[in-house]
Amino acid sequence: MRTFLAILGVVFGTFASVARADEGPVDFAKDIQPILAQHCTACHGEEKTKGHLRLDVRSLALEGGTSGASIIPGQGDQSYLVQRLRGEGGEEQMPLDRDPLPAEQIALIARWIDQGAHWPEELAGRDVARKQHWAFVKPERPVVPVVSDKSWPRNPIDNFILARLEKEGLKPSPEASRETLLRRAALDLTGLPPTPAELDAFAAGPSTDAYAKQVERLLASPHYGERQARHWLDNARYADSNGYSHDYPRTIWPYRDWVINALNADMPFDQFTIEQLAGDLLPDATRDQRIATGFHRNTQINTEGGIDPEQFRVEAVVDRVGTTATVFLGQTLACAQCHNHKFDPFSQKEYYEFFAFFNNTDEPNLKVTGITDPREIEAGKARIAQLEEAVQEKIANWEATLTDAQRAQLKPDAREALAIPADQRNSKQQEAVKAALRSVDNDFGAMADALVATSRQLTDGVSTLILAERTEDPRKTTVFIKGDFTRPGEPVSPGVPRVLPPLKAKTEKPTRLDLAKWIVDPENPLTARVTVNRIWQQYFGRGIVETENDFGTQGIPPTHPELLDYLATELIESKWSLKHIHRLITTSATYRQSSVVRPDLDHADPYNKLYARQSRLRLDAEIVRDVALASSGLLTPKIGGPSVFPPIPDGVMGLGQVNHPWRTSTGPDRYRRGMYTFAFRNSLHPSLATFDAPDGIAACTRRIRSNTPLQALNLLNDVAWMEFSRGLARRALSEQSADDATRLVSAFRAATSRNPAADELAILTTLLARARADFANDPSPVSDLVADQTPGGTSEAEFAAWTLAARTILNLDETITRE
Amino acid sequence: MTDPLLNITRRHFFKNCAVGVGSIALASLLQDAAYGAASSSQIGNRTSPIPARHHPAKARNVIYLFMAGGPSQLELFDYKPKLVELNGKPIPESLIEGKRFAFMDSSFKNKSTLLGTRRKFQRHGKHGAWVSELFPQQAKIVDDIAIVKTVATDVFNHAPAKLFMNTGSSQFGRPSMGSWVTYGIGSEAKDLPGFVVLQSGPRGPRGGAVNWGSGFLPTIHQGVPFRSAGDPIVNISSPDGISPAHQRATIDAVNALNAKRLATTGDPEIQTRIGQYEMAYKMQTSAPELCDLSGESQATLDLYGADPAKPSYANNCLLARRLVERGVRFVQLYHTNWDSHGGPGETLEKDFEARCKEVDQASAALVMDLKQRGLLDDTLVIWGGEFGRTPMGENRTSTGRNHHIESGTMWFAGGGTQPGIVLGETDELGFGAVEDRCHVHDIHATILHLLGIEHEKLTYRFQGRDFRLTDVHGNLIDKLLA
Repeated sequence: MRTFLAILGVVFGTFASVARADEGPVDFAKDIQPILAQHCTACHGEEKTKGHLRLDVRSLALEGGTSGASIIPGQGDQSYLVQRLRGEGGEEQMPLDRDPLPAEQIALIARWIDQGAHWPEELAGRDVARKQHWAFVKPERPVVPVVSDKSWPRNPIDNFILARLEKEGLKPSPEASRETLLRRAALDLTGLPPTPAELDAFAAGPSTDAYAKQVERLLASPHYGERQARHWLDNARYADSNGYSHDYPRTIWPYRDWVINALNADMPFDQFTIEQLAGDLLPDATRDQRIATGFHRNTQINTEGGIDPEQFRVEAVVDRVGTTATVFLGQTLACAQCHNHKFDPFSQKEYYEFFAFFNNTDEPNLKVTGITDPREIEAGKARIAQLEEAVQEKIANWEATLTDAQRAQLKPDAREALAIPADQRNSKQQEAVKAALRSVDNDFGAMADALVATSRQLTDGVSTLILAERTEDPRKTTVFIKGDFTRPGEPVSPGVPRVLPPLKAKTEKPTRLDLAKWIVDPENPLTARVTVNRIWQQYFGRGIVETENDFGTQGIPPTHPELLDYLATELIESKWSLKHIHRLITTSATYRQSSVVRPDLDHADPYNKLYARQSRLRLDAEIVRDVALASSGLLTPKIGGPSVFPPIPDGVMGLGQVNHPWRTSTGPDRYRRGMYTFAFRNSLHPSLATFDAPDGIAACTRRIRSNTPLQALNLLNDVAWMEFSRGLARRALSEQSADDATRLVSAFRAATSRNPAADELAILTTLLARARADFANDPSPVSDLVADQTPGGTSEAEFAAWTLAARTILNLDETITRE
Repeated sequence: MTDPLLNITRRHFFKNCAVGVGSIALASLLQDAAYGAASSSQIGNRTSPIPARHHPAKARNVIYLFMAGGPSQLELFDYKPKLVELNGKPIPESLIEGKRFAFMDSSFKNKSTLLGTRRKFQRHGKHGAWVSELFPQQAKIVDDIAIVKTVATDVFNHAPAKLFMNTGSSQFGRPSMGSWVTYGIGSEAKDLPGFVVLQSGPRGPRGGAVNWGSGFLPTIHQGVPFRSAGDPIVNISSPDGISPAHQRATIDAVNALNAKRLATTGDPEIQTRIGQYEMAYKMQTSAPELCDLSGESQATLDLYGADPAKPSYANNCLLARRLVERGVRFVQLYHTNWDSHGGPGETLEKDFEARCKEVDQASAALVMDLKQRGLLDDTLVIWGGEFGRTPMGENRTSTGRNHHIESGTMWFAGGGTQPGIVLGETDELGFGAVEDRCHVHDIHATILHLLGIEHEKLTYRFQGRDFRLTDVHGNLIDKLLA
């Protein structure tokens, strides 16, 4: 009987409504839902969600859409839904382009709202993934768990880790040795190994907070900014060339230096984000804030012939959308370019609403050195115009007075040029005329020189790539059908995915700046989590969320959700201080554990996801180089500036379509840190590529750590590593003591930060002895090995033997590993 | 012999790598490629079992002759008498409506007209396949190859189109076919990388290393470019002054010290590194030996037209045979400058003829040589560019042809393909397929199938999604299978 009535209610909904318009409680199932289904949900449902309003799901209907709440329980007449149905408030009457609802039905809806808009649970509708997925819920500060072993934790991180270990019946590992600990922190925070003096001081220091002091020293080191910048530059897909097939060089290192400086100054991460995404839109944007927008100029530029420029402009915007979503939100929004996201609650339309924030941009250059003051530039241009006019006038006067005899004495190219009317000469012909006049008129020469010099003053200097909002002829954004830019669909306005909190900007056209502020709004559930997770990943090789670029429903859930939220809220509450997070982690007992593999964990925690020990991590490509440079004493510690050209194996630069020159740096620039090596996207320096440095083609939020024979060939045979080996040999030989063991220990320690054990020392001693004997027998290889670098007071053969020993040390797994 | 260290390594990989065919293959790769395995490193050892597959494999190895720039099928394999007849006539609007081409402005500012080939075609072989006068040697192998005339792609600029042909996507950052294959089924090479790239022509292919990049797959799977001059692999030569004995002594010392660290830390990565230093040492010997063609008979050199003293496509074809003999899974040769727009250096006459001469003899020789050595049955040879060329002429300094995505020709030999067939037919102007259209994704699916891999099952999870070489596309080309 009930079923029958329900059907009757649906079929004769209109009739029923009329019959009950003025009496008794309104029944949502019988009276309201049929109206909504018939008239509203075609446009406000799952398929189409106009105005971001859905009327088929209770929670979403009550939440409202772009225009705010649509239903205010208890206030039918004040509810936006009823007002639009009645056509009140000067807005178009709903439903659009259809007949209005009968007045009785509207009255029924109003009465239903008056009565509290009761919408039964069983009809609430599916709100799949929305809000329920953990990552879309704002992190709350968790309660720090109580642990049994109160002596172990050094800060709350350890409580979260230990609580879980205790639950599993596991014990943490002992603290790593002092030298391992200092080397670990130094490499992680600055990318450079500790010096022997630093190791000595730390080993000797009795104070209980010696390690904490070391962390403070490292956080304050200007090399901290370098190391952390390189992590960020992976996200930013930084490189020094245009990519695509031609891969011409570009200048954008001022952006790289901006990152280093910002991180060294511990610029709050919210500001760091805003300046990179929308620095140009800040009021009275400074030069630095505009340089920061280089973040989104690290897209490729296609200079191939025959291309459709719009295609590649769109490609760059697509890249900016994908990168922004990956790096700041940990979301695979890029999946929704061609269709609604298969797994996460992002519609294709929402993709293009996000796209719209980045679509109205231009891609200018910003001059950062040389004459950069606009007034000076204007003055310079005026001066050039004046000089140009004077030069032309002088040429005209001279030509007018030239006799045929004088003409005949001129060089042939000048004679030919003069035969052509002045306004039709090409630049070569103009130069020929100028040269001719120069030879007879010193004043003219001075004037022409001044013109050249003034022009050069204006053009000299460095320009970096920046992003700027387009002011004229703004672009309209539409959905691209199946992601194809040649198939524009429905127009869209800038907006953020509905599953996330709404934009605070209530303007008609929110801007990139509004988007940037939204990303770092403490209400945003993702940004802080994604950021601290990536920092955690630096220190443990894996994020608390292993899928560091996918916090969506397909990602792997956090191993320690409360710890993640603790760190995320800590980041926000510390006013977005990244150094605070780095300090917290590196001073934790969790971080300070030994990385030695524990057989007892083989089954209990084979992936070391519970952190009952630290992990041994092979160093990143740049740091592999930096450690060799630092231990060999060759490092040029200069920070920033144009990228440099250390030696590169023959033929590497000939592999791309265009052969770009590689003018190998000499002097100090030959020994700069790895992060300053000029990065061609299509032919990354082999020493970087072989050790998994990203090529800057797409955002890289986690490097892989491969272990290949090419790495062995690199460390064994690369000419740079031979130079480093000689440097390390010189260092060993500079020890006061002439004792082999002392010197070998010194070299070993420079590279690994520890003294070798006796059996390890024996291996090196044997190698050294053998090399000495071999070179005594046959000195022919010696001169190649020493390459005129033999220090005074040492024989070439002795230096060659030491070079072999040093080379062995620089090839050790331990040298290129953080333990 | 069971090597305990191999077991450590294997377990390590099982633990840390994505689950699926790939992780099993990685273990096989480790074993097959003697990453610490005890098996013999005898050159030319092809006896090790083919690793686990989805289904029995026909092909063990692939040699892909990539004609970079897009050779004109209309001058080589796709004979169109009607086009010759209509030479100079405007192209029917119905054909080009709504289509996109490269150089849209310069090509179509003045109405393009049809361009009939000037080349003479003849029927060859048992099935009378048409081949032009420009490929007299390949005309002799038509009974051993399958000519596919209806290859269609999606993108019409060189770099993206090459990426598409190699990775199934025109976006940078996806793994190339060779990477997918070694990720899927490893390699049998004991002392060489599993995926090797050889190059000839005046410049590198557009896009460069991304064409053989491993994308998001582990870098162990990326193509290793062998150079045709100087060292075949970056840093393969010991530094000046380092004798082989000292190199060996150094590696011994490094490995002995690493073994001590392994004992202290228990980190299996150290065991992998010890294996890699051994592999590096072997490669230092095997790579120069591989590239040294002096051991080849004069008859073989003549067959290919190879001159060991001069880098060439012919030398590379011979090297490709030597590589698959040594168990290298995927060999890709690039020969560049096939672009034939009609401008300087890109004429359909002199320049195109030169390219044809450079590749014809050696391409045919490779198939013949593999066949006579009994290697063709399980070596898949692929010939083709990134796209075809238009039936319309493009007027630059001379008349050439524009890039064309609707149809182009590739051929396949060996490895379980049907020999002596011509697959697919284009319309009478050669614009697009009228039967058996073979899209790049279909070709990828078929290549993987021949190697014993189901293209829908070879996946790698990245950024929250399972990626495949064929993305969400690809149908097996049944008619291509023997």
